[in-house]
Amino acid sequence: MTDGVTAGGQPPAEPQAGPSSAPAAPTTASTAPAASTAAPADPAVPAGTELPVAGAGDRPAPDSGLARLVLTGISKRYGAVRAIRNADMTVKAGQVHALVGENGAGKSTLIKIVSGAETADTGTIEFEGAPVTISSTVDAMALGIATVYQEPQLFAELTVSENIFMGREIRTAGRVDWAAQNAKVVELLELLRLPARYATAVVGTLSIAQQQQVSIAKALAGNAKILILDEPSAILTDAEIDVLFDVVRRLTASGVSVVYISHRLDELFRIAQEVTVMRDGQTIGTYPIADLTVRQIAELMVGGILSEHHSERSVPSGEPALVLSDLGLAGRFHSVDVSVRPGEIVGLYGLVGSGVSEIAATIYGIDRATEGEIRLDGKRISPRSPRDAQRLGIALLPANRKLQGMFGFQSIAFNISAGHLPLLSRFGTWMDRSREKSVARDMIARLAVRTPHERQAISAMSGGNAQKVVLARQLVERPKVLVLAEPTQGVDVGAKEEIHRIIAELAQGGTAVLVVTSDLPEALRISDRIQVVRGGTTTVEFGPDATQVDVLAAAAGDVAASDGGAS
Amino acid sequence: MSASGVEQSAHHGASPVQPAGGPRLKPADSGATREPLGTRILRALLTQRVVLLAVLIVVVVAVLMIMDANDYLTAPYDPDYMASSLINAVPLAILGLAELVVILSGRGGIDLSVGAIVSLAGMVFGFAYGEWNWPFWLALVVTVVVGGVLGAVNGFLVSYIGFPALITTLATYYAYKSLAVVINNQEPISTEPIQNLFSITRSVELPVIGHDIPNFPLGIFTFLLPTVVVIWLLLARTTYGRRLFAIGTNDVAAQWSGIAVRDTRFKAYTISGLLSGLVAVVTVAQFASARPDAGVTGNGMALPAITIAVLGGVAITGGIGRVSGVVLATLLIVWLNAGILLAFEGNEGSQFQLLALGAVLVFAALLNGLTNRRYGGTR
Amino acid sequence: MTTTTPPRPVPAGEPARAVRTRNRVLPSPVTGQELVLLAVIAAMWVALYFTTPAFLKPGSLQPLLVSMAPIALIGIGMTVVIITGGIDVSVGGAVMVCSVLTAKTLVSSGVSLLPAVLLSVAVGGVLGLVNGVLIAYGRVHAIIITFGTANLFQFLGLQIFGSSTVNGIPSTFDVFGRGVAGRSFGIPHAFLITIVLAAVAWWYLRHTAGGRHFFAIGGDAQAARLAGVRVQRRILLAYVLTGLLVGLGSCFVIAQGTSTLDQSVGTGYELQVIAAVVIGGTSIMGGRGSVLGTVLGALLVQTVSSGVTQLGWNSNLRDLFVGVFIIIAVGADLLRQRSRRAAA
Repeated sequence: MTDGVTAGGQPPAEPQAGPSSAPAAPTTASTAPAASTAAPADPAVPAGTELPVAGAGDRPAPDSGLARLVLTGISKRYGAVRAIRNADMTVKAGQVHALVGENGAGKSTLIKIVSGAETADTGTIEFEGAPVTISSTVDAMALGIATVYQEPQLFAELTVSENIFMGREIRTAGRVDWAAQNAKVVELLELLRLPARYATAVVGTLSIAQQQQVSIAKALAGNAKILILDEPSAILTDAEIDVLFDVVRRLTASGVSVVYISHRLDELFRIAQEVTVMRDGQTIGTYPIADLTVRQIAELMVGGILSEHHSERSVPSGEPALVLSDLGLAGRFHSVDVSVRPGEIVGLYGLVGSGVSEIAATIYGIDRATEGEIRLDGKRISPRSPRDAQRLGIALLPANRKLQGMFGFQSIAFNISAGHLPLLSRFGTWMDRSREKSVARDMIARLAVRTPHERQAISAMSGGNAQKVVLARQLVERPKVLVLAEPTQGVDVGAKEEIHRIIAELAQGGTAVLVVTSDLPEALRISDRIQVVRGGTTTVEFGPDATQVDVLAAAAGDVAASDGGAS
Repeated sequence: MSASGVEQSAHHGASPVQPAGGPRLKPADSGATREPLGTRILRALLTQRVVLLAVLIVVVVAVLMIMDANDYLTAPYDPDYMASSLINAVPLAILGLAELVVILSGRGGIDLSVGAIVSLAGMVFGFAYGEWNWPFWLALVVTVVVGGVLGAVNGFLVSYIGFPALITTLATYYAYKSLAVVINNQEPISTEPIQNLFSITRSVELPVIGHDIPNFPLGIFTFLLPTVVVIWLLLARTTYGRRLFAIGTNDVAAQWSGIAVRDTRFKAYTISGLLSGLVAVVTVAQFASARPDAGVTGNGMALPAITIAVLGGVAITGGIGRVSGVVLATLLIVWLNAGILLAFEGNEGSQFQLLALGAVLVFAALLNGLTNRRYGGTR
Repeated sequence: MTTTTPPRPVPAGEPARAVRTRNRVLPSPVTGQELVLLAVIAAMWVALYFTTPAFLKPGSLQPLLVSMAPIALIGIGMTVVIITGGIDVSVGGAVMVCSVLTAKTLVSSGVSLLPAVLLSVAVGGVLGLVNGVLIAYGRVHAIIITFGTANLFQFLGLQIFGSSTVNGIPSTFDVFGRGVAGRSFGIPHAFLITIVLAAVAWWYLRHTAGGRHFFAIGGDAQAARLAGVRVQRRILLAYVLTGLLVGLGSCFVIAQGTSTLDQSVGTGYELQVIAAVVIGGTSIMGGRGSVLGTVLGALLVQTVSSGVTQLGWNSNLRDLFVGVFIIIAVGADLLRQRSRRAAA
C-alpha cells in the first residue's frame, strides 16, 4: 500500500517539464473492454443487456443470475441540472454489483432513488420481476433494500442492539424483549464475524469502522435482499477492508445482492462480479468485471475523451515557496513530499479517504503534523492555528463551503472581511467601513460575483457565487501560498470556468497554488504538475501531458501496474 | 440554521428587502421585481423585528392614551408619566444588552447569572461606597470590574473548558447569589452615602429644550444612553463586533478564517459581567440600599433580560441580533407595564405585567417560527 | 476524575462495556456517576453524624426526605424533558398554579384527599400540555417557550391567589407532610410515593420502546424520525408528564407548610429541579440521563441544605455548594465524553 506506484507504464513526468503545447494522444479503443457489447465511448447504447456473468472466483449463489432489481430509463433533474439521464442498471441476485463513476457522475443520485430518499422523474423500477414504486425510505426498506451510507447514522448513547432495532423493537407485554432482540442481534453479529458481546456495547464507545459494521448489521436486520454500500472502504484500514469483504462474500453466498460503490477500483476486482460505469449522469454500460482491467474501467469513467489542457503558461523555475517533506500526521497520512514554486499550480489529487484533505488542513494549522516538516521560503514553519498560517502568508479555501467557509446569513462584505479584520480596521479596533466596502466591491468586480450589492446575504446566493465570495476572502491580502481544497465542488459550469481563470491569474501574479481536489479533470486542467495521493501518501507525480486515465489508474490502484492492492 | 435564516434582513436593516416572487425565495442573484405594497409591508413586519416592535409601541401607546382619554385609567397616561417610567428601562435595557452580547456568541450562549452578579457586585459597591467611603467614581469602577471578573468566570468555563452555558451560569447563579447574601450576613447596606445616591435616579429637566418636553430620569443619561452607544459601537463598528457575529453565525468558519473563537466568546461573557456590575450601581441607587438579594428576588433579573433580548429579535442560536431591537423591546415592555399599572388596582397591575411579558414572548417566539417557515431558507 | 464506568480506552476491536453476566442485555443499570453520588451522600451523612449527632436520627432524616420529595418528583419529568433535548423553566410557575388552586379548593369546599390530588394533577397536566403543544408543534426552542409560559403561569397563580395568602388550609394533605400522619413505619409517604414513581419511570425509560425513543430523540431527532419514532408526540408526552408530576408535587408542597400558603410558593423551583437533574448526571445536551441520578441529585442538594442548617452555618451557603456541585457534575461528564472520544 505504501510503496510507490508507477502508473500504467507511464513514467512520472519530470517536475521541470515545460508547458506542453501538444495535447496528449487520445486514448484509443485499443484498450476497450473486449467482451463488452457497448463501445465505451458511446454512451447512447444501453448496456447491461445480458452480458455473460463471468463470476470472478466466487461460486454462484443459489438463485444467482436472476435479475433482482432492474432500473430502466431512470432520469432525475434538480432544477436546470439533469443529475441522471436515462440510466439503466440490473442487479442480479446473490451478486456484488459495483457502481463506479467520477464525482458528479450521478452515482449517489441513482442510489438515493433506489433507497427512496429521492424519487425519479421518469423510468421504471422492477423488483424481483414486478414493477414497484419507491417513494420513501420506508417503501425501500419494506422491499428489502437497505443502504449503508459513509457516515454512520447511529445513536451514540444507545447500545448496538438498540440502534439496530430502533423504531421496530421486538416487544412482549409492553416492554422491549431484550433477550429476543439481542439473540437476533447476536445472529447478525455472527454473520458479520463480530463478537456477541458487541450487542450490548454502547455505540459511542466503538471505533468508526466498528460503527460502520453496526450500520451494516442494522441494514441486514430488516431482512435486506439488496444491500447498498456507499464508499464503505473509504474510512477503513486494509485489515478492516478484508473483514468487510469477507462479510460481503458470505452475504452474497446466502443470496443477498450487494451494490458496491467505490472509488478504489482495484478492490472491485476482489469482490464484484459485475460493474456498471456512470459518466455525466448516464450509465455507460454494465460489464463482467473479469473482462476489464483497472485501466479500462478508468477509461470508461473518463470516456476516452482527451484531457483538456490549460493554456500555455510559463512555469517559473525558482526556489519552491512551499515544501512538504516527509510530512505525516499519525493515523492520517505519512511521508508526504510536495513542493510548489511561486507562480506554479500543483494539483494534489486523491480519492475520498486517501488523506488529501487532512494534508491541506495540516498546512493550514488546523491539525499539527507529527512527523516531517513544512518549509515556507526555505524556513521551517509549524503553524498552530489558521491565524498562525495566515500571518505566515498561507491562505486556504476550505473544502466544505457551508460548514467551514460561509457565514450564512451575513453579507458578502462581512464574509470577505472576516478573515482580514486587522487589515480593514484602524488601530485593529475600529472597522474601516469605507475600506471594507471598497475591498468588497473590488472583489465582487474582480471575481465577477453576480449580486446587486455587497450587502446581500451569502446564504441567498447560488453555490458558484457563494464560492467566489469565500475565495475572495483568501485573496484580499495576496497570499504567498494559496491552498484550494475542492475549489469547484457544487459549483455550476460557468462559475467553475471563472474560478479556474482566477486561479490561473493568481499564479501568474506569483502566488504558489496548491489545489487539493478529487475532481480529476479539474486537476488536469489547471495544474502544472499533479501529485497523486494514495493510501495516505504521495505516490506518483505527473506532468502536464498526463492523461486522465493514467492519473485515475494511479490513484485508484492499478493492479496491473502495482502489487499494492490485491495481494 | 433553520431558526435564523430569515432574520438576515433583520440584521442588515439597511439592506433593501430581497427581491422575491413569493414565499419560496429563489437565490436572489438577479435584480428586484415589483410586488404589491401590502405584501412588502407584511414581509417587513414579519422579518424585521425592529419594524414590528415600532408598530407595537405605537399601538400600545395609542391604546393606552385612548383608554386614558376615556377615563379607564387611575392616573393620566401622558408624556410626563411615560418619561418618568423610563427609570425602569435602565436596568432592564442594560441587562438585555448583556444577554444580547452573550446570546450572539452562539453555541447556546445564555447568561442566567446576571441577577446574581447584580446582587454580589452591588454588595461590593455598598462596602466600597457606603462603608469605606471611597469616591463614587472609584467605587463605580471597582464594582464594574468585579462584575467583569464574575462574568469572566462564566466565560472561562464556557469558552475555554467547554461547559454548556445554561448549566454553567445556573451554577454561578447559585454561587454568586449565595456569596452576596453571606458577604454581609444577610444584611443590606444603607448608610448615609448610599441613601443619598437616590438622587441620581431623579428626573431632570433637559437644558435648552427642557421646557417643552417632559423631565427625564437622570439615569437615562448617565447610565443607559452611554451604555447603549458603547454597545452599539462595539457591535456595529469594531472588529470585536465582527468577530462576535462571526463566531455566533458559524464558529467553524470563524476558526478557519483565523478568528480567535475562544477568546471572543470569553470576552462576551466578561462584557455581560461588566454590564451587570453597572446595573448593580443603578440598582443600589434605585433602592437607596445595597440589598444582598437585589438581583434575584422573585423571578430575578435574568429572566426579564432574556425575555427582552428574545423579544428584541435576538436568535437563541446566535449570530443575529441588534441593539435597536433590544432598546425597542425594552421601551415596549416598560411603557406597556406602566400602562398596566394604571389600568389595575394594587397588586393586580404587577400581575398583569407578568401576563403581558409572557404573552408577548410566546407570541414573538411563535412568530419567529412562522417567519422561518414562510420566508425562511433560501431553497 | 473518572466518575463513570464506561470510558476506559478501548483496544481496537473491543467494545468498552463488556457484558460479564450472560443474561445482561443492557448496559449496567447504575452508572458510575450515580455510585459516586451515593458515596458522596453517604460520606456527608457520616460526617454530619459525627459533627452533629442529631443528624442521623429519624427526627432529622424524615423532614429531609419530605423536603426532597417534590424536587425529586418533578425532577423525574424534567429528566425526561432534558433527555429529549429540551428544558422546562416554567415548573416554578406551574407549581404555584397547582398548589394555590388546590389549596383554595380545599379551603372553600373541603374536598377529600383523592379528588384534591386528582384536581392538582389534572391542572398540572393541562399546563404541561400547553408547553408541549407549543414546543412540539410550534417548533420553537423549549427554553424560550417555557420562559414565556413561566410568566403566564405565574400570572395565573397570582390571580388565583387574589393578592393575599391562603390561610386555614385543612389538614387533608397531612398524609404527605412532616407530621406523624405523613409516614408509615417511619418512612414519609411523600418520599415513598416519589421512590415508587421514580422506579416506575426508571423501568419505563429503560425497558420499553417508548422510553428508549426519548433517548433516541435527544441523540438525533432527525435520525429518530427516519427510524419511525413519532418525535413530536414523544416530546409532547415529556412535557405533559412533567406537568402531571408538578401537579402531584404541588400537593407535597402544600403539605410541607403549615396551614398557609404565600405568594412565593414555587419561586425558584425550576432552578432547583434542573440543578438536581444535572447533578444526577443527565446531559443537558440530551440523549443521556437517568431518573435514579436525579433522585440522588435531589437527595444530595437536600442533604447539603439540612447539613448547612444543622452545622449552624449561614443557610445561604447551601446555594454556593449547589453551584459547586453542578460544576463538578458537568465537569465529570465532559471528561467522560472527551476520554471516550479519544478512545474511539
